[in-house]
Amino acid sequence: MVEKLRTILRYESELLVLVVAAVIPVVLFAAFLSIEFFAPANLQSMAIQMSGFGFLALAMGIAMLSGGIDLSVVSASVLAGIAGASVVSGRFIPVTEGNGVQLALLGALTCVVVGMLCGLLNGFLIAKISIPPILATLSTMILYSGIGMAATSGQSVPVVVPVVGDFVNATFAGVPAVFLLLVLALAIAGFVLNRTRFGRRLYLFGENQVALRFAGGRTERTILLSYVMIGVLVGVAGIIMVARVNSARTGFGESYLLQAILVVVLAGFNPYGGRGRVGMLVIALLLLQGISSAFNAMQLSPYFTNLVWGALLLAVMVGNYVARQHRPRLAPKPGPEPAQSEEVGTR
Amino acid sequence: MSTATVSTTRGWIRRLRGVELYLAVVIVVYIAVVGIVNPLFLDIGTLFDMLRSGAGVALLALGVLTVLVSGGIDVSFTAIAIVSAYVGVRTALATGIDNLWLILFVAVTVGTLLGALNAVIIYAFRLPTLIVTLGTASAYHGAMAVLLGTTSYSRVQMPQSLVEFGVVDILRIPGHGGLSVYVAIVAFFAVLTWFILQRTMLGRSIYAVGSNEESASRLGINIFATKLFVYSYTGFLGALMGVMYVSQLKYVNPVSLIGTELLVLAAVLVGGVRLTGGVGTVLGALLGVVLLRLFVSTLVFLGLDSNWNDLFFGSVLLASLIVMYYRQRARNRRALVFATT
Repeated sequence: MVEKLRTILRYESELLVLVVAAVIPVVLFAAFLSIEFFAPANLQSMAIQMSGFGFLALAMGIAMLSGGIDLSVVSASVLAGIAGASVVSGRFIPVTEGNGVQLALLGALTCVVVGMLCGLLNGFLIAKISIPPILATLSTMILYSGIGMAATSGQSVPVVVPVVGDFVNATFAGVPAVFLLLVLALAIAGFVLNRTRFGRRLYLFGENQVALRFAGGRTERTILLSYVMIGVLVGVAGIIMVARVNSARTGFGESYLLQAILVVVLAGFNPYGGRGRVGMLVIALLLLQGISSAFNAMQLSPYFTNLVWGALLLAVMVGNYVARQHRPRLAPKPGPEPAQSEEVGTR
Repeated sequence: MSTATVSTTRGWIRRLRGVELYLAVVIVVYIAVVGIVNPLFLDIGTLFDMLRSGAGVALLALGVLTVLVSGGIDVSFTAIAIVSAYVGVRTALATGIDNLWLILFVAVTVGTLLGALNAVIIYAFRLPTLIVTLGTASAYHGAMAVLLGTTSYSRVQMPQSLVEFGVVDILRIPGHGGLSVYVAIVAFFAVLTWFILQRTMLGRSIYAVGSNEESASRLGINIFATKLFVYSYTGFLGALMGVMYVSQLKYVNPVSLIGTELLVLAAVLVGGVRLTGGVGTVLGALLGVVLLRLFVSTLVFLGLDSNWNDLFFGSVLLASLIVMYYRQRARNRRALVFATT
């Protein structure tokens, strides 16, 4: 038993750092917050808030597994949201008594398709043109928000179909439906990443893409597929974000980008690729949402929250670094392979 | 800067190569198109306005260029800029000393220190620069807001020396406005950055570290000192930009400027600066900024509203990336290099 615990401590350093990071705020909350914080109504609203963001975080996590990053998750989900909201805004298709549900479904489908197309473009640029992920998604981030801005002139697109709002507030046995959707997505993602050939290849790509290529793995197809997957998740995030505020507007949720990166790094994903687990992501998501809601309850300024996010991100990365230094056998992954990635025959 | 590239002698044109040439051509063609659609654009006053409003971004771009050449990414410079400027303004207000030099000194000190802190964290723990600076940007700005608050100051309330700094012109043409002192500052630092990067050992080590950190270290280059300089210099330029920014707006708002960092980064990347380090020139970065500012300020002349900015700029960025990296990919394939990033 003790031996087993020691093994866990040795090899699960990321988990340890995360647990330490989680325990401190929980103790603080217990000291400062009243019992109402843990009331069902409050937990429900926390679960709803977490859902949309959870999809973005999962998308970011998949990008980081392959050693990439997706800076366009928020702007792509906003663009998907705008496209979906236009369907249910009554601007192009008149809304009648009977067609509410059909329109809502069509809108949701539009969201997912637009998100998928955004992901497909990212994947194409990264896999087929070999643009580094940061660069490709930085430019598509500007492009997607540019398309949204040009299409809406910065105005918000209202949702006039009431079914959309009902969807967010729907519950099954007290658990919000959107939260169940997130749980389902996390479960599917966990299965795909751990139990399928595609998932194994994605991890291997993040670990050593040249080795994967020479082992016969189709690297380009793997990367393309992973970004399409990200696109679908981003599209679903778009649906939830639109449904929550009953409208879509460019520039919405920009702060989610930092938070998505934060939560993924918090969960012990290695930004250089190859390491990270969906289960840890769940813990990190719960932690982040807990802190965020508690700060709201304590009526702290959003700037203070920013300070905590930044400090927490740095602390966790430093903690993981220190933990990795002390881990036996598994050598720390110091950085990206410098030699072969640059062009041959520099000017 | 745009005059320097547009109305140049043949010798200058011959020296433009690759991405810089491509950018210069795009800029010239674009200016010609806008000029034909709306002749009002081709006025010296418009040029002065654009130089004035683009000066801040150009200063930031010089810092970003230095970081990118060293193989890192910095997204905390806008936070550093506004934090330093705000601390400077608050110091002047608290002490009652309304002096531009005091504000500048305080701001630049704060900016340099915050930049140095970035470098220390990045070097000591071997962490990815993008994520560290995302974290520090959030932490710096949050710390400022918690410690100093986020009160904004109007033109009347802010130090008057700053307001006066904002309206200084170094050249005045009656009827067309004047050339702001900002342009001189940017020109000075552009030359300084060029000199450091191309003509000093320090600059050579920055390129070396960016190309291959391991080899640079074995050559005897002090990696920590190099990174310390790079991030401190970026912080320094950011702080200077912050002071310029509030004096230009004649309004001190401690929550502005945040969120524009990725756009500045994109402008520098359009100029052919490699994200993987070791490649990039001052001219390229400045041309990238010119292109960004052109889109921002000329869509009005074309009869389009400013909502089209991002779409235009994003498309151009994407197009130049595709051209750049597709060629590299083809080269790599021939050389049997299979890494895709």
